[in-house]
Amino acid sequence: MRHLTHLRIGPIGFRVGSDWRGPIAALENLYRDYPAPEDGIPDFNVHLFAARPWRRLLRPSVHIGGDFVIPDAAPLPLAQGLLAAEMGMNLQMALGQRRFLLLHASAVERDGQALLMTGMSGAGKSTLAALLMARGWRLMGDEFALLDPATGLIHGFPRLISLKNEAIAVLERALPKARFGPVLKGTPKGTIRHLVPDARAIAAMAEPAVPKLILFPNYGFAAAERAVPPSETFVRLTQASTNYVALAERGFDALTRLVQTIPARALDYPDTATALTQVERLWEAA
Amino acid sequence: MTRYRAAAPETLRVVPLDALTLIYHRASGITHIVDSPVPEILEVLAARPLAEPELMARLSERFELVDADAAALTARLDELVATGLVERLCAI
Amino acid sequence: MADESSGPVASRRRALMLGAVGASAIVSIRPALAQTSASVINCEIPVPDPARAGSYIAADGTLVPAGTPGAYPPPGASFKAEDVKRALSGGTLPGTDYERSRAYTNYIRRLQSGTSGFTCFASLQMPRG
Repeated sequence: MRHLTHLRIGPIGFRVGSDWRGPIAALENLYRDYPAPEDGIPDFNVHLFAARPWRRLLRPSVHIGGDFVIPDAAPLPLAQGLLAAEMGMNLQMALGQRRFLLLHASAVERDGQALLMTGMSGAGKSTLAALLMARGWRLMGDEFALLDPATGLIHGFPRLISLKNEAIAVLERALPKARFGPVLKGTPKGTIRHLVPDARAIAAMAEPAVPKLILFPNYGFAAAERAVPPSETFVRLTQASTNYVALAERGFDALTRLVQTIPARALDYPDTATALTQVERLWEAA
Repeated sequence: MTRYRAAAPETLRVVPLDALTLIYHRASGITHIVDSPVPEILEVLAARPLAEPELMARLSERFELVDADAAALTARLDELVATGLVERLCAI
Repeated sequence: MADESSGPVASRRRALMLGAVGASAIVSIRPALAQTSASVINCEIPVPDPARAGSYIAADGTLVPAGTPGAYPPPGASFKAEDVKRALSGGTLPGTDYERSRAYTNYIRRLQSGTSGFTCFASLQMPRG
């Protein structure tokens, strides 16, 4: 790997190596305010590599490797190298995380307590988290929340917020002064643009929070809410976790404690303005 | 006669939640979410292995059995054996 | 789990229903991650579950419009304190509540897709070349 960078996101340190300078430059630029891995020792390695030496230059395509891999995954064009780096880091977390129970959920914090939002891709958890950050909540993460089985606390993973398609314009309007990455068109998920978490999110990334409320948002329906009973919340969260089974009894204990302790609500919303009002009200009532 | 034995209590972490019960089975590492009458059957079988008629009798003593149907009990036991929470002991 | 109800044991046994032969009472959490690349390749997008707040649950666990005959209101709405307490100490009662409980179990079963959330998501982001 001729090009290298190190960074820490929440409690996780990464070493990213690449055959091309481009993706490393993009990471160093957008993650410039992030700390290095603790004690300089990364938890995971990510490799962005060319399949053959000449493919570094000829129709360059970026293969994603690292400590943990999905075999035969299709590469990305070099123009989407930043996305490849992000996918590489996501993959290490999804496949290799063993210390924390990994929840596919966004998380924001207020007064030391965490709001978790989870659901299918497109349900709105990333967009809502970014908008709540714009409203003064501390962003803990847009994609992953880490539950510590030892303490029951939520740790953030405040990577670059990945905005897709229509959500990009929404956040550009809500946060005109924020730092954004390049517009990446033609990705497997459409158009993507990254939003750098604000200074507060980065400064506080090592501070966990006590979980207070779980929401299952659903975008594109008339406003409605229902309480979600613990058994349903439990199963939905196992579906939203990549390492629940691997964590065995620790995972079982952590998740049962979570669903027995905090309330959960399913939230249908027609637009983000409505959702934000609903969220604030549900938070106060929780 | 064929008897049924529940997984030893120390291998099960049982957490009742609202209408369903969670069971973590240490031996297999699998989490099951179960509805009545599964927790009740496991409790009755925990003490010692029982054949189906005995199990039916025990359940009738302990509970007001609305549908004391042998086929239904067999179905529940088959399900429990398939998940590994109950073992089928064949008489030699 | 089978707490004794209050009152003399002899006169107050809790009701129990064994259930229909074809109606499963167990949902098992399937492993979150398939270890083989073949399983990841075969991943399908889980059918989006709108989990519409106002929907009812049919006997087979699917969501149907509110008020559909034979379907039950969403669990959250009906789990009041006394329902929860009764469920914890006494399980379900025969008849309507038993059927509602089985419908809910089927609903829970349907929440599980073929492969778990993120793995499927990751493999969709990285389509096979």
